Amino acid sequence: MDLVRDCLDKQLEDRDHRRMGRVDGLILECEDGQPPRVAYVEVGVKTLLDRLSCRLGDAAARLLTKLDIDTEPYRIPWGKLHVGLNTVRADVEAEKTPALEWEIWLRKKVIGRIPGA
Amino acid sequence: MKKIVEIALGIVTSVGGFLEIGSITTAAQAGADFSLQLIWAIVLGGLCIIFLVEQAGRFAAVSGRTIPDAIRERFGFNYFTMLYLTLVIVSLLVLAAEIGGVCIALELATGIGLQWWALPATFVIWLVIWKGTFGAIEKGVSMLGLVTICFVVGAFLIHPPWNQVLHGAVPSLPKHDSVHYWFIAVSILGASISPYLFFFYSSGALEDEWRETHVGINRVIATGGMSFGSLISIAVLILAAMIFAPKGIKIEHYSQLPDLLVPVFGHKGFWLLVASLGIACMGAAMEITLQIAYLTAQGFGWNWSENQRPLDEARFSFVYTIVLLLAALVVLTGVDPLSVTIVSMVLTAATLPVSIVPFLFLMNDERYVRSYRNGWLSNAVVIFVIALAFVLAVVSVPLQIFGGS
Repeated sequence: MDLVRDCLDKQLEDRDHRRMGRVDGLILECEDGQPPRVAYVEVGVKTLLDRLSCRLGDAAARLLTKLDIDTEPYRIPWGKLHVGLNTVRADVEAEKTPALEWEIWLRKKVIGRIPGA
Repeated sequence: MKKIVEIALGIVTSVGGFLEIGSITTAAQAGADFSLQLIWAIVLGGLCIIFLVEQAGRFAAVSGRTIPDAIRERFGFNYFTMLYLTLVIVSLLVLAAEIGGVCIALELATGIGLQWWALPATFVIWLVIWKGTFGAIEKGVSMLGLVTICFVVGAFLIHPPWNQVLHGAVPSLPKHDSVHYWFIAVSILGASISPYLFFFYSSGALEDEWRETHVGINRVIATGGMSFGSLISIAVLILAAMIFAPKGIKIEHYSQLPDLLVPVFGHKGFWLLVASLGIACMGAAMEITLQIAYLTAQGFGWNWSENQRPLDEARFSFVYTIVLLLAALVVLTGVDPLSVTIVSMVLTAATLPVSIVPFLFLMNDERYVRSYRNGWLSNAVVIFVIALAFVLAVVSVPLQIFGGS
């Protein structure tokens, strides 16, 4: 598998095919004498901004931390993933993961309070 | 029979959704300033958009993805960020211009200043998106948008010199005001080759659940819809050329727009113009608002669909709500909608390469489009459009500075 071509930036879905973001980053583990192996995929703003510029990622993380917003990316173990042709499916329930934290917050605090939502 | 109905509805939708404040303004200015000489720019823009829209629809029908979705996947996050920021900034300006267009129509109809209409008009647009489904918005607004055919009827009734109309369809060098001539040509191309049109079309194809079997229908709809849409723009140009140009009248204020139809239809022409402007701009505003929300949701992998309840896709709904508020704020600042329109069309032209270059790669990638890859003609046209886009990107801003007055 070509990790960048076949996995990075692909649509991420949970076990019920609910969209839960994209594969924003890949975490490789290196052990002595062993070839590197993919340990996790990451989903999160900090991971994305780091790809643009590490300085930008750090500055955004500092700002968000001051605002009491968790910037830690959500990691999904490689073993829980199935890389398909169009999507990467994770054996998790999206609603119970930090990947949909903002979605749930907006649903409860903003959109849910507007009549007709 | 079902296919014929589907094609007819698709063409109606494309025609109804084609005309907006940018195409009306640029075509009218072209006619007033250079008579029939700039028809070629609309024809060229129309041909380009036919190919791009057809490819966006074919891509969505075959791959089950939208163009922005595939751009993020194929070109990575950094390229997507550049495309995203460029498109959002330009689209926000175009959206402000469209809301301004709705407000102008309301001001013409009621006499109440356009700024007073910014928030009510924005609220109505938001409410339709909030409560409506994709099909209702797409077909409802587009059916109403067919009122813009009055421009075509008007162009026939005014009896233009048809041989000169045909001559105008062939590119020619300006006889006076060269810089202004090229500025208007660039603005027309910016209004015609709008990235929001083909990105929205690919999202719409998925909203309408297009499959591989729709490839043929897509071709007919893209060609028919965009051709008829361009025909309406040409009709606006002809009317301006026949009414404004002989008297040497320049279009400097939106209050002059009713004069396009009043000489042909009398007082009814005033109301036809108000209805055409209001409905066309409202339809375009809805499409652009949704397109920014689609682009955001598709790029970041969120849930998106205009057919779901806002509660089920809070981030998608939040984005279109904020986008509309920001665009309304631009109108509320009191900036002249005509200036916003022209600047946004020029900026659209300036940023075209970012949106169009990916087409060449995506439409030839078997992983996405399998055996429906571009043929030599489609590739040749995309390469031509990319070259044109680069030229427009280089010349548009200097032309705006030196020829935009």
